[in-house]
Amino acid sequence: MSAPAFHKRLLSKFGAVFVAQAEQIGGVALLIWEIILHSFPPRLDGPETWRNLYRVGVKSFPIVAVTAILVGGIMVIQSGTYIEQYGAYGLLGWGAGYSIFREVGPIMIGLMFSGRVGANNTAELGTMKVTDQIDALRALAIDPIGYLVMPRVFTMIVMMFVLVVVGDFVALLGGAITSRYLLGVDMELFAWSVVTYIGLHDFLHGLYKAVAFGFAIAVISCHFGLGTKGGAVGVGRAVNSSVVGSAIAIFVIDYFITFIDS
Amino acid sequence: MIVVENITKFHSGRPVLDDVSLEIPDGSNLGLIGPGGAGKSLLLKIICALVRPDRGKVYIDDVDILSLDEVELAQLRFRIGMLFQNYALFDFMNVADNIAFPLRQGEKHTEAEIAVLVQGILDEVGLPNIGHQFPNELSGGMKKRVSFARAVLPEPPIMFYDDPTAGLDPVTSSKIFLLLKDMRDRRGVTSATISHDIQGIKDICDNFALLERGKLIFFGNRDAIEATDISIVRQFWDGFSLDELG
Repeated sequence: MSAPAFHKRLLSKFGAVFVAQAEQIGGVALLIWEIILHSFPPRLDGPETWRNLYRVGVKSFPIVAVTAILVGGIMVIQSGTYIEQYGAYGLLGWGAGYSIFREVGPIMIGLMFSGRVGANNTAELGTMKVTDQIDALRALAIDPIGYLVMPRVFTMIVMMFVLVVVGDFVALLGGAITSRYLLGVDMELFAWSVVTYIGLHDFLHGLYKAVAFGFAIAVISCHFGLGTKGGAVGVGRAVNSSVVGSAIAIFVIDYFITFIDS
Repeated sequence: MIVVENITKFHSGRPVLDDVSLEIPDGSNLGLIGPGGAGKSLLLKIICALVRPDRGKVYIDDVDILSLDEVELAQLRFRIGMLFQNYALFDFMNVADNIAFPLRQGEKHTEAEIAVLVQGILDEVGLPNIGHQFPNELSGGMKKRVSFARAVLPEPPIMFYDDPTAGLDPVTSSKIFLLLKDMRDRRGVTSATISHDIQGIKDICDNFALLERGKLIFFGNRDAIEATDISIVRQFWDGFSLDELG
């Protein structure tokens, strides 16, 4: 292949990737605009909202609890070596709690949430799209954004917030148990360290992230679900894009919130 | 009166509907026939503004529906019922809730009235005891009948049926065709019906249109279609093959 032809092909491929990414970002931006428009006045379909609260929240508790308890334990194990080296047992609760509240808790639960709830949401909406269920809603004079997207956005924000609150404390419990049985540090000392050194703003910092992650996962999973094309293969592709997009969004949002609120 | 003018739609640079024009007078039923992939379902979706064409106009009672915004379209769609080719039943609702869904959105009926209406239409389509079941528990033919029940129960003045008898046995098919005939004759519904069951739609449609590869090959009433010598129309109408349909 000649050099000009190679450059042309390279440029063409780069352009196609750029256009495809720009289309996705534009699509997400448009969906956010639609969500804003549908928020005034706020109106949620009752049965659909309850169905999603159960599906998104209640069914996520077990996996979040298991993840959180292990994360808390891992935090203690990681810092345990240095704590023992310096005999700074009074800092163990602070070390674990600070990282759980501000960073690891929201990030881990966010990633679990996007993998479980976001992927499920994209698959459900994608299947509805390729089997004409979205068109059927529109044919019945039902706005899919109001009926399907708004309850999902609401429930994902609320449940991400609730799951991070619960997950944070379950992780602390996991940390306290690990510190007691692995390092021999009393749970009272662990708790004292948490209460003494960690402020409310550390806890709230993680909750800001939880709300932002919940919104991002909801918007991205709905965007890819509603944009599904090409039958079952297309649903698989959409789920993959949704999980990858949500993970990237979680880290980008985390970076900016950490930067702003530090 | 529904008027379709010069509808053209491209897909990947190729026309999938090419300058299609036709009319559906009030209270009449248009039979849309043609080979698979000819653009029949797409045309129905364009007529009820679920898909926007690249060119052309659609008028329903002199209103250019493609110029309407989403709020105005929603008002219009209360007057339109659509039976989808692949059922389009909501997976997360049971059969009774699927059928009741448009009535609940209309907010004109009590729950007790809705329950009676749902049971009535289920009896009519021959599925009296499946209200509690979910779509994934039903056969294709049962889904089709449930989808039909959901579409017709609100009694919209305009109906589009996309292959209403696909996958049904001959007895149930004839029953569905009788229901379609009743919708037109007794309720004065303006409708369009896609079907590959030519014998079935011969008696329930007033006009016929044949699409092939996105082009309108024939449009006329029963006398005209019986008199035409267009080869592909004859093959479809008489049910035999002279050569490859393509």
